[in-house]
Amino acid sequence: MTVFIAMGDRVWNTAIWRKTWGDQRGLVLAFAALWGVFPWLFLWLSAQIPMLAFQDVLLQAIPKDWQRLSGVPFSDVATHAGRVALAFVDPVVVLAATVWGITRGSDAVSGQLERGTMELLLAQPVRRRALWVTQALATTAAAACLCGVLALSVCAAVAYGPWAGKVEPGRFLRPVANVFGLMVCLAGISACVSAADSYRWRTIGVMSGFYVFSLLAKLVGRMSGAFGWVGYLSFLNAYEPQRLVGDAAASWTNLLVYDGILLGVGGVAYVIGGVIFCRRDLPAPL
Amino acid sequence: MLVEADQLTKRYGPFTALEGCSLAVRQGEVFGLLGPNGAGKTTFLRLLLGFIHPTSGTARVAGHDCVLDSLAVRAATTYLPGEARLFRRMTGHLVLDFFSQLRRECRRDEATRIARRLDLDCSRQVARMSTGMRQKLALAVVLATEATLVILDEPTANLDPTARAVVLDLVREAQAAGRTVMFSSHVLSEVEATCDRVVILRAGRVVHEQSVAQLRRHHRITARLEGDFGEVPAELREHVTVTRDRDGRIVLETADSLRPLLGWLSTLPLGEIRVDPVGLDAVYDRFHRHG
Repeated sequence: MTVFIAMGDRVWNTAIWRKTWGDQRGLVLAFAALWGVFPWLFLWLSAQIPMLAFQDVLLQAIPKDWQRLSGVPFSDVATHAGRVALAFVDPVVVLAATVWGITRGSDAVSGQLERGTMELLLAQPVRRRALWVTQALATTAAAACLCGVLALSVCAAVAYGPWAGKVEPGRFLRPVANVFGLMVCLAGISACVSAADSYRWRTIGVMSGFYVFSLLAKLVGRMSGAFGWVGYLSFLNAYEPQRLVGDAAASWTNLLVYDGILLGVGGVAYVIGGVIFCRRDLPAPL
Repeated sequence: MLVEADQLTKRYGPFTALEGCSLAVRQGEVFGLLGPNGAGKTTFLRLLLGFIHPTSGTARVAGHDCVLDSLAVRAATTYLPGEARLFRRMTGHLVLDFFSQLRRECRRDEATRIARRLDLDCSRQVARMSTGMRQKLALAVVLATEATLVILDEPTANLDPTARAVVLDLVREAQAAGRTVMFSSHVLSEVEATCDRVVILRAGRVVHEQSVAQLRRHHRITARLEGDFGEVPAELREHVTVTRDRDGRIVLETADSLRPLLGWLSTLPLGEIRVDPVGLDAVYDRFHRHG
């Protein structure tokens, strides 16, 4: 039974909350299964290469210049903690977080407009603001649940996997929090673009372009001394999970900065998107 | 008046979708909106519901401004879009559950009853429903509420004749329950059978308003003239118009009761006399086929 709260229904609607969870259920279950299994598989595969052999390759064979591409010195990577942290820059985690953010964010408005379901929904006495906020909270809560699965799986794999006892599992909670920041940031920006658009395919296209630009900007910023400033144009500069597994005090400070940026950008994008959605004309079903 | 629109205008850049539309709908009447595709019917309805904002002009529903108090307007209104699309992954039952949760006054049992009357299997997933079944489901969602104003944009599109008849019955029942219905359709016979009053829109403008009760008094008499027609008596000149059709037959039209004409007609040298009611299609044709 929907709980109607006199003031709460301005920004909240329980029926929309349930519906949004129903919409994202398939994606949540798929990514939960993926992230539940991936850390175990990653650690098992990593353990197949002995540490000395890994260190030899990383510290001797790879040119030193390439180190600039890495978020941390190779000497930090060539440790048990550093090798576990590689899981957080593996495409399985980064792409899943990206796909999650863009998929859920783009569905917020343009997805529903394109499917034509927004019309009958907004014909009901539901504030646009309540629809927007409830969907954003459901998406954020699901991202938190997925990150919870990732955290549990990573910690369990570190504690009971092939490198049991060699690394403190708790230090990987900070990179997981960074993944959460990335998901919220991408979902917020995607939702903002979606709020101004009428076609989901176009929203996804814009976001894919934006993501590729951010990735390139980050790489250019790292590789080029003269164009180092370009890196600041990329929100991905705040996704540095490898830097968060080192010294606890410094890592917590870094996490506050990185997640502050990611959650801040995501939050601001949600606010701007909300204003756009509440004020715009909604086209008839296409 | 339950619905009042004053000089309502909507422009998209150089394109004008609705131009200075002023109309009023009385409490408890069934009001028809007629016009070809692109005439502005759906734009008008979407302006009322706050989906789009007017370029100029105002509209009020149950005393609430459609821009400033859209939530109150939508609480007083239930709306069936022209092409109602529902959540494909839900079953019919889940769709009815969902919408009954969104409206405090929505009666879930009534939605089930309407679905049964429309012979709809609600256990089926929306994605597996035909277009007509989805339309029936949307009708069950919309008509199960107790909203004061019922807006139906082409409610019988995609429906079989049996379901169409049920929908028209439901419209009459809504009116009998004291609710106001705004009805947009391309099926003129349905509009004529259901509505109390209609407006005809053309290129975004209201070009004609017609009471259906008055329309039912309109008659057209077509006959072959077999002698001298003479003059129309002075006392009937205000009530009858006389023209000739392409075949040379005489055509008399009256907007009032036939009775005063009958005595005069019996004196005329007419053969092959045919008396037809002037239907909504003739009025519509005046503005859209011939106009």
